[in-house]
Amino acid sequence: MLKTLLTLGLIGLLAAALLSGVHLATRDRIASEQQRQALATLNQLVPESGYDNELIEDSFSAWIPGLSTPSTIYRARMDSEPVALLADVTTPDGYSGDIRLLVGLAPDGEVIGVRVLEHRETPGLGDQIELKRSDWIGQFAGKSLGNPPAPAWAADRRGGAFDTLSSATITSSAVIEAVRNVLAWYSANRDNAFEIKAESNHRSNPGSGDSGNP
Amino acid sequence: MKADSIEIWRQGLWDNNPGLVQLLGLCPLLAVTGTAVNGLGLGLATLFVLVMSNLAVSAMRAVIKPEIRIPVFVLVIATLVTVVDLVMQAWFSSLSATLGIFIPLIVTNCTILGRAEAFASRRPIGDALIDGLAQGTGFAAVLIVLGAAREIIGRGTLMADAHLLFGDWARALEITFLPQQTGLLLAVLPPGAFIGLGLMVAARNRIIRARAERSQTADQTHPQAA
Repeated sequence: MLKTLLTLGLIGLLAAALLSGVHLATRDRIASEQQRQALATLNQLVPESGYDNELIEDSFSAWIPGLSTPSTIYRARMDSEPVALLADVTTPDGYSGDIRLLVGLAPDGEVIGVRVLEHRETPGLGDQIELKRSDWIGQFAGKSLGNPPAPAWAADRRGGAFDTLSSATITSSAVIEAVRNVLAWYSANRDNAFEIKAESNHRSNPGSGDSGNP
Repeated sequence: MKADSIEIWRQGLWDNNPGLVQLLGLCPLLAVTGTAVNGLGLGLATLFVLVMSNLAVSAMRAVIKPEIRIPVFVLVIATLVTVVDLVMQAWFSSLSATLGIFIPLIVTNCTILGRAEAFASRRPIGDALIDGLAQGTGFAAVLIVLGAAREIIGRGTLMADAHLLFGDWARALEITFLPQQTGLLLAVLPPGAFIGLGLMVAARNRIIRARAERSQTADQTHPQAA
């Protein structure tokens, strides 16, 4: 009996030793890989040559009305002057759950661009929000809260000024409203959005995914 | 190759295929086979875990008492899956983002525990290695065929996103059969997985029946051969 328990304990120890070895061997690589992916995502909207600060570090969490979970806000600066604000936000209003977006704003409140980071929308219909599947997501570039005016920030099938993906009105509306919510939050916080102190340990990196969270 | 190992290969690939006959590991099998590349990625990861777990279990079979065998098997499998998960996050991070939650789910793939219990814990290391390779290849083959079929019918492409697995050169592997958005959406959605797997099982049964009928007629025409 004792011997059996010892065997089991020994095998457990071996497994633990193996796992800590692999963890040590992959830890740095995984961290740098996540960092690289996070930057690659942010750089889709703000080219690397467009800023000179530590984009990943220069971030803080914010609660944006209408969006779930604290959003992470990144700020790009050149010679300490604001260049862009990047909001990593999640809307709960997708057709099949959360849609995670990256919204880039210029300091004057104009949209630089929007990218979809994660979603579970219907393949072939709602997944047209991905840039690689259609250019629908490109229609936000250059828009702002006054252009079109706030009430027109809706899908055209619901009387707004933005294109609706066919058979994916709910998905389209979720994205449009999320972008509008970010714009509304920014216009209310315009004076201090680039002043708030960076938080060293923000919650998540864009692009790192939720792989450990089934 | 010995007749014995040929038999083990035949079991894994056809007679006792984990995907088509034992119908084990259906959760990952049905869930990830939206594209051929996803199927291939999960197939390779499962193959690796299956081979390593078979080897480990077979090597330890002399010291493992029957009472503790299940905890030991589970411990071995969970450890190996964690190793695969970490390695994929480090070196194949974009694929890891796609297959994300399905890699930890390999732990629950009954094929692996089933082979540990039914085969590796009773046979020498050499046989266990071949069995792991055969069963793993059999499972991966089902994943790839089902993934390819669903991708062609549903999206009109084959091997899209291959660069997630093999690096940038693999973008050239993508074949487009249909212009964008003309595929049959149902094939990519979950029902397509069930229908596709059902058709594969049916096709296998049909081949087996056709063979049996042929050998029967052969027996009747040449009774002395039987």
